[in-house]
Amino acid sequence: MLVSKNKATNSLLKSEKKSLFRFLTLYVAMVIFSITLLSLFYYQSQEKLMLSDQRAMLTKYAYIQTKRLKVLHHFFDERIDYPRDLRFKSAIYDFELTRIFSLIEDENIRFHEEIYMTHKYIHLVKTLDEFYLGTKYLIIEVEDSGAWRGEIWKNIIGYGLISFLIFMLFGLYLAKLFLKPMRDSILLLDRFIKDTTHELNTPLSAILANIEMMDTDVMVEKNKRKLSRINIAAKTVSVLYKDLTYLTLEQEKTNHDEVIDIRELVYDRAEYFSSLAQSKHLEYNLDLEDATITIDRRKFTRVIDNLISNAIKYNKRHGTVGIELKERMLVIWDTGIGLNEEAIPFMFDRYIRFNNAEGGFGVGLSIVKSIVDEYDISIEVKSKEGEGTSMVLKW
Amino acid sequence: MVKPVLLAVLLISGASTQLSSSDAYERYCVECHRELPTSLQRMFMRYLLVYGGEKNVKAGLKHYLKYPLKEISVMSDLFIDNYGIKQKTTLNDTQIDEVLDIYWERFKVIDKLK
Repeated sequence: MLVSKNKATNSLLKSEKKSLFRFLTLYVAMVIFSITLLSLFYYQSQEKLMLSDQRAMLTKYAYIQTKRLKVLHHFFDERIDYPRDLRFKSAIYDFELTRIFSLIEDENIRFHEEIYMTHKYIHLVKTLDEFYLGTKYLIIEVEDSGAWRGEIWKNIIGYGLISFLIFMLFGLYLAKLFLKPMRDSILLLDRFIKDTTHELNTPLSAILANIEMMDTDVMVEKNKRKLSRINIAAKTVSVLYKDLTYLTLEQEKTNHDEVIDIRELVYDRAEYFSSLAQSKHLEYNLDLEDATITIDRRKFTRVIDNLISNAIKYNKRHGTVGIELKERMLVIWDTGIGLNEEAIPFMFDRYIRFNNAEGGFGVGLSIVKSIVDEYDISIEVKSKEGEGTSMVLKW
Repeated sequence: MVKPVLLAVLLISGASTQLSSSDAYERYCVECHRELPTSLQRMFMRYLLVYGGEKNVKAGLKHYLKYPLKEISVMSDLFIDNYGIKQKTTLNDTQIDEVLDIYWERFKVIDKLK
């Protein structure tokens, strides 16, 4: 499985992001719903305001038309021309809602509303007290220019966006407030590791220096084995110490990139871990061609060290640690316990460990991932439970 | 020979239909109203002004024909003072309905405005 480059290498950070995402999704939905509701109320109130402005004018038209109907009523049927006006259109309906005569464009009349808007028109329904020509309902229709809508939409969009942004900023603040305890726990762990690392340096250096200086020729076989075990334990702690130092102190240092002979470096690091490998009766299977890479030596060493030490740590007794080097490709494989497919995406997360039988803080692969990402090196994990794991680096 | 007979039958049946429908109105209404100064057209407009729709007008008229009273008349006081209240009708409901249908169709405003 190829591990994506920008994948978060921190489980807590990932769950933090997940919680943040869930909270924000819910929050955004609520904000959008609230703003839409408010906009709807605002739109309706503005429509009512506009209609109340129109009401006075339309009532005047209705009054004029009523007078004309009255005249026509008295002269019917000598006069049969329905009174027309350029300013408005009208229709008359009787008591039983039967149309007597109509000039209006939109015939969808709401007889029980005094004033309302249709798609393009404004209607005023005037109820007559005296039924001239049998008219109970006089409908006055004027065209709606729609100019008022433009202003309302401008306000809704403008104020809506401003409100949305303010609510979003507030939401982010709230989310950070809720996630603070989770973030604090990560910081506490980081601080603890930083403090512990600092205290490890002096005793570890003393142990390793003294082991190097000891004359093994004069030792009896039993003591040699004991010294070897001390050496292995010290080197294991040393790798851990270097990882923690890198994580807490050296990560921010400026890179000193140089062309590195990978073959030489791999030999050197394999040799360094040989005593650890021997303790588990592992054998190395090295297939190293000449290859180089331009990278900070300190960082690349961390990558090699972590991959080799993992291949040894999680291997079976009498197993094999394989290192294959080709131009632009490095493969480190083992015949160890392996991982199931579902665990692979999480194996580079900080503080994640899948096997508690072995020591460590679960930071090694997190460091490897951050370094390979920095240098655009792809890392592919092939693993099968009970058969082993293969880490493929390509650049 | 067949054609003249057919024509005669059609003419007679058409004339009899027209006579029976207009006759009811002419016979029961126009006869008496001819003596009055206000035309049936003007009276219809008065009923329309007060009652509005077709059903209302017909119902109002029917009621007045059966139970004529000064208080429910749509005519002016001056008219009633001069000509009085009509006699209670002797027509049955079917005849009244028939007459009112003709009356409505003849003077209604719907479909006449331009």
